[in-house]
Order: sequence, then structure tokens, then C-alpha cells
Amino acid sequence: MTRAESIGVGTAKAEKTPANRRSLLARFGPSNRKVFPWVLMAPTLLILFAMGVYPFLYALFIASQNVVLSKPYLPQIFMGLYQYQLVIQDPEFWHALRLTTIFTLEAVFVEFWLGLGLALLFQRALRFGSVLRIFIMIPMVLPPLVAALIWRYMFYPGTGLVTYYSGLVTDLFGQSAIPFLSDPDIALQVLIFVDIWEWTPFMFLMMSAGLAQLPRQPYEAAEIDGASAWRVFWTITLPLLRPAILIAVVIRTMDAFRIYELITVMTRGGPGNATTTLNVYLTKTGLEFFDASKAAAISLIMMMLIVVMSFIFIRLLRSRTDVAN
Amino acid sequence: MQRNWWVYLVVLLVCVINFIPYLWVVLTGFMDQTALNTGRPVWVFSPTLEAFRYLIFEKHIMHNFFNSVVISLSATFFSVTIGMFCAYAIARYDFPGRDDISFWVLTNRMMPPVAILIPVFITFQTLGLLDTLVGMILLYTAMQLPFVVWMLTGYFRDIPRRYEESAMVDGDTWFQAFRKVTLPLMLPSISATAIFVMILSWNEFVFATFLTSTQAKTLPPAILAYSVSADVEWNVLGAAVVLVTAPLILFVLITQRQLISGLSQGVAGR
Repeated sequence: MTRAESIGVGTAKAEKTPANRRSLLARFGPSNRKVFPWVLMAPTLLILFAMGVYPFLYALFIASQNVVLSKPYLPQIFMGLYQYQLVIQDPEFWHALRLTTIFTLEAVFVEFWLGLGLALLFQRALRFGSVLRIFIMIPMVLPPLVAALIWRYMFYPGTGLVTYYSGLVTDLFGQSAIPFLSDPDIALQVLIFVDIWEWTPFMFLMMSAGLAQLPRQPYEAAEIDGASAWRVFWTITLPLLRPAILIAVVIRTMDAFRIYELITVMTRGGPGNATTTLNVYLTKTGLEFFDASKAAAISLIMMMLIVVMSFIFIRLLRSRTDVAN
Repeated sequence: MQRNWWVYLVVLLVCVINFIPYLWVVLTGFMDQTALNTGRPVWVFSPTLEAFRYLIFEKHIMHNFFNSVVISLSATFFSVTIGMFCAYAIARYDFPGRDDISFWVLTNRMMPPVAILIPVFITFQTLGLLDTLVGMILLYTAMQLPFVVWMLTGYFRDIPRRYEESAMVDGDTWFQAFRKVTLPLMLPSISATAIFVMILSWNEFVFATFLTSTQAKTLPPAILAYSVSADVEWNVLGAAVVLVTAPLILFVLITQRQLISGLSQGVAGR
């Protein structure tokens, strides 16, 4: 039997089919190692092209025009890169970028360390471990919209659970209640807190999965050497965990950068523009001021930032795993 | 064990912080007006199903519920089936541009949803896909594909290709080998991926808000409509939260084991 026969081309079954089908199979079938992967990928690529590339190109086109959805009478003219220039010169954009950066860095940093810490605690044989794990995972499982609604309710002036009980405490000290969502100085930190509440379980899950896969030998060697727990953590656990850490941090960074539901439901970007992150700025421009062209320019700038960030992360990931192998 | 008491203390504290807010909103869903109007958090009250009755019989929320089920199940089925073959091709075949393709697939997930909203809206309007189940299924399938491909590529790499090759030497066609040898080995990872996709589709909010209005409206935008007005009825919000989260929590409880085993397999493969 030749190799081609062994993988189903030209066997008895295929010979019964019409000749043209046989030649089709030979041309595009599994035996053609050049073409067959493209056949397998075709449906995915087609759908992504229709729902990803095409809208992207459309957005690119809109960004080069002057489309204001509320003013259809405006003549559509080609404006080149002018929309991008407008965005970069807009102080609102830099303000939003700053807030987004603060939000992403602070949230992902805290989530990572909390998630890792929790995962390490769960490495000990905890009694009722699987039940406790479910309770820890609850915020992550809730729809982001529901998490946002819950915390809007928790921070509701007067009767919200947090507002009410923290009000009792501040009363004891003769202070007035903390205006969690209406004070521009605290609102962003409150949102970061909710993001940490919601997504630390995700980090916990990813870190638990990573820890479960670590080899035993380095730890046995360290035990013989009498290394301290602290030293074992820094020199063995953390470096070996690197691939899992990078995946978790990439996913979380990308998502924190695009934070939307939480802010829309809890503060709508306010008070003032104290929580207007990039996505909120984008939505305001596109869907409140109907400036479709400027919105498209903002979204393309945002996308470039995310692509560059992920590219750096993925490079880091690749080089690290190559070294490990 | 006795010296571990502080571990339990920390873990229990985290559980309480993670669970109490949700519990409280759920409890609110069963409150009547007297309990709501006391001006302070009430923990003990006589429960009523008034808010649920209102949502189901006056607001017909089961229609949105049904839409959510159909859209998320279909999108999960299509994206996992289609994405699986793409991931297989990337993991198994060495063709020019492979790394670029796999990175390009991932970039489709980096686009802020709001960014492609306006083009998608205009296109859907032209094709008559606005506010239809088909349109939403198509959109969610496309949205989840990058994630499916990315997750499954790593898993496929874990399975040695000689398993398939030996099946083919024994006379199986490529597809038979794939179905009988590779697929069963992939099942934990595929179900873990499917669980994630299911949850993400169930929870999707941005597109659902702007692309559906009456016919194909899913639960999240429906719920937002009852809860952001200034004089929001908190018990209606609570009941709505119960309706949108109960199926999800049940689902995760049932599939918890697959989720964790599938995940750990994937992390090891990288």
C-alpha cells in the first residue's frame, strides 16, 4: 500500500465514486499537505473575514471620511488622516488614555497577586476545597452586566449595602458618608475595586491550573537543600509558572483595556469625566454625538495599542517557552 | 491541620466577600414593598414571588430567555465545530504563513466591540439581519472563533500525531482517524472551551444592546432596561438577576470538573 492509499485516496470505496470527485479529493483532500490545511481553515477564515475584516475595512473607510450620523445632509468628503489628527489633539483622548492605563495596570497587578496567593493557599489539601472554590469563582461566572448592576446597588446612596454600613462607621467618627460614585477622586478607584472583585477568580483559576502542572523534582531538590519557602517561591514556582502567568495576564490586560459594561452601568463615565476611559470616550463620540468618523478613528487607534501590547506579550511568551525547551 | 486555621480564615473571608453582594441582590428579588421601603438593608423578611410574576407575565421576559438559550447554544456549537478544524490545521500542518494566520485570528478578538458596531449595524440593516436570531448567531460565532482557535491549537499540539498516523496505516481515512482517535482525546479540552464560549455568549451585552430590539432581544439588554431608570424597583432588578444567572450557575456547577481538567491540560501544553 502506498502512502496515498493508506490515508484513503484511491481505495476501493473511492473508486466507486465518479472520477471528478476522486480528482477533487486528490487535489484538496488530506493527502495534499499544501492545500488541505487551507480547506480545514476555510470556514473560520471566511466567517472572520465577513465579521472581522470587512467591518474593520469599513471602519477604516469611515475614519477617512466626515460621517456624522445625525447630520446626513453633510457632504461626504475624503479627509485623509485628519480625523486621527483631531483625536490626537483632543485633550479628552489623552485623559481617557491615562485613566485606561491606570485602570488596567492597577487592576491586573492586584488581580494577579491576589489570584496567585489564593491559588497557593488552595494548593494545601483544604477540607471542603471544591465547595470553597465554587464560592470563590462566583463573581467571574456572573455576567459583567450583572456584576455592574450588583455593585451599583451596593454603592447606591443611602440604602446600598456598602453605603449604609460604611455610613454607620463614619457616623461613629462624626464624619459624613463617603460618596463612593459621586466623588471624582474616588470613583475610578471604586471601579477598579469592582474589577478586582470580578476578575481575581479568573486569575485564581488560571494560576491553580498552572500550579497543578508543575513538576515535583525541583521541589524535592529544594527540600533536600533546605531552602526557605520564600526562596522556593521566587526561584522555582514563579519562573516555572511563567507561561501560565503570561497567558492569564495577556487575556486580562486585553479585557481590562476594553472595559465597558462596568463603567456604563455604574458611572456612565462620570462624575464629570473622572471615569471616562477610552471605550466610554469612544461610545460617547460615536453613539451620543453620532460622530461616526471620529469614533472610527478612536477605535482604530485603540486597536493598534492593543495589538502592539499583545504582540509584545506573545513574543515574551514564545521566547520564554523556547528557552524552557 | 490545626496550624492551618489562618488559611481557612482568609479563604472564608474571600468567599464571603465574593458571595454576599450576589446573595443580597438575589434576596432583594424576593422582597415585597414593606421590606424595600425600610430605608436600611433588611435580612429577614417574608418572601414573595411578586417581582418574578411581574417580569414573566407582564414583561414576558421568558421570550428573551428563550432567545438567549437559542443564540448561545447555536453560537457555541458552530464556533467550536468550525474553530476545531482551523485549530487542527494550525497545530498539525506546517504551511507558509502559519504563525501569521494564528496571530491574525487572535487579532480579531482585540477589536473593541464598540469599534465594529457601526459598520456591523449598517451591514446588518442592509442584509435584513438586524434583530434576528440568525444575525446574532452569526455574529457570536464570529466573536468566539478566535478564542476557540487559540485554546484548541495548544490542546491539539499535546496529542502526538503518530496516533492518527498509525490509525491511517491500519486503513482508516483521515476523517475516520480524526473522529476515532484524536477527537476522544480532545473531548475534555473541547468541552472546557465550549463551556467558556457558552458563558461568554450568554453574557454578551454590547452587541445585543444595539443590534436587537424586540424579536431577538436577549436577556442582558432586557434586564438593563428594567434596572437603570432613576426610580428602579430593586426587587425587579433582583428577580432579573436571578433569571439571568440561575442557568449559568447551574451550568458551571455541573461542568466544574471538565472546566478544571480541560484548563490544566491546556496550560501544560504551552
